[in-house]
Amino acid sequence: MAKNEAITARKKKEKRDPKGIIAPLVVLAIIYIGLEIGLRAFHVAAYVMPTPTHIIQGTIKSFAIILPDFLFTLKIICIGFCVAIPAGILLAALFSQFDIVVKAMQPVVIWLVITPMITLIPLMTLWLGTDPNLRVIIVIIQATPIICMNTLNGFIHVEQEKLELAKSIGATKLQTFVHITFMNALPQVFTGIKLGCIFSTIGAVSADFVSRGQGLGDRIIKFLKYSNFEQSYGCIILIAIIGISLYTVAEKIEKRIVLWKK
Amino acid sequence: MGNQVFSVKSIAKSFGSEKDGNYMEVIHDVSMDIAEKEFIVILGNSGCGKSTFLKILGGIEPATAGSMVLNGRDIGTAIPPEELRRFGFVFQSNNLLPWRTAEGNLKLMLQIMKLKGEQWNKRIDEMLDIVGLLDYKSVYPHELSGGMKQRVGIARALVHDPDILILDQPLGALDAITRKMLSYEILNIWKKTQKTIIMVTNNVDEAILLASRIFVFSNKPAVITHEIKVDIPVEERNHQIGQNTRYNQLREEINEIVRAAM
Repeated sequence: MAKNEAITARKKKEKRDPKGIIAPLVVLAIIYIGLEIGLRAFHVAAYVMPTPTHIIQGTIKSFAIILPDFLFTLKIICIGFCVAIPAGILLAALFSQFDIVVKAMQPVVIWLVITPMITLIPLMTLWLGTDPNLRVIIVIIQATPIICMNTLNGFIHVEQEKLELAKSIGATKLQTFVHITFMNALPQVFTGIKLGCIFSTIGAVSADFVSRGQGLGDRIIKFLKYSNFEQSYGCIILIAIIGISLYTVAEKIEKRIVLWKK
Repeated sequence: MGNQVFSVKSIAKSFGSEKDGNYMEVIHDVSMDIAEKEFIVILGNSGCGKSTFLKILGGIEPATAGSMVLNGRDIGTAIPPEELRRFGFVFQSNNLLPWRTAEGNLKLMLQIMKLKGEQWNKRIDEMLDIVGLLDYKSVYPHELSGGMKQRVGIARALVHDPDILILDQPLGALDAITRKMLSYEILNIWKKTQKTIIMVTNNVDEAILLASRIFVFSNKPAVITHEIKVDIPVEERNHQIGQNTRYNQLREEINEIVRAAM
């Protein structure tokens, strides 16, 4: 058992290693101070780029206006993303059951990944009306294909030997899928999910830009109209924070589950 | 000789079809009778179809012609799923599932074969103990050395208490020293567990050390060219076997056969 303790101790040490947190913070501080000094020294106009301090001040001042839009965008991204994950994995699982379906669907999935889904918004407005909550659909159809594509890739690339192991012990099709194929694909599933975070964020904000009325994307344009540059930059940063937070959560879960990839 | 547990009658295997012009006969006609507690070693050049032969015996692939008799019952060209429990398969390159710990890899067998209960869980520990890895129970395969991984592979093949253990070049991927050590360990496992073992190798020394009978396969399409009874008593098979006159005699003889087949 001594060996096990050694391993858990090593894992804890890896987790506690402060370099991983301090290094990015230092970079952030350098960017912040560099911009603050640079922008002031060269008298850069606020409509090009306000100083970081002004951005923060402006954003805090107008936070009451931004908050409903922030919560709306957060809601759209989270709901869409949470639907896209099971949808993408489920579709990939269905496709992977038959070689012919994989061959048929792979190009379609790639085609869906590449198509920017905001192009559908004018049409969707025509079909479903102008309810801003319908932007969830945009997020779903934007994020599902990328999750599906990566997962499918994992599902169809299983080492022959692993499948032979399943055969040699008489595993059923379902057992083979659950114990071998799915577990084998988990790293790729997580790659898909992490890309899904990015695609969801892009989908939600671009939907705001096109159909307007609500959301952080819409708020950016409104602020710009009235020359509130600090606040527009603030909104951009808030969008980035939503994306980064989702990504970080996905990555943390991945590290918890995918223990075997180093 | 003890009871016959398993016999193979005129097994043949071919791939492709004559119509498409990619027809290839891998095994032409192989018959053998295997008695209880026997250690059968199959010797042959690489690519002679001996692994394919083991895959047929292990229920991974069906034969194209011939039949097999298991405990007096004719089972045709493929091992039926309900009989797979009688076999344990050790793969050439350990083939452990990287997402499961050593214990988890053994547990998979019990999960898939639906063997539940305390006695089976205890058996996991017993088997890991037999291969000397009880302390590494909760360690992932990527943290184990090549020899240790293969030992877990052997424990895995034994955990569901099969009658027949099939080893497909189990030492092929190891360095010379580990290979030698592990071959003695396989000998001990055979003595301890009293299983019937069928093993494929391309190493003559290993074959004589372990086998009760050696079958030499010809090049593709495989047939049995020689059957050699290794009449060295089990007690004399140890690290001093190199000084055994009978051992050296057999070694000379078999090396001659193998050279002629090249």
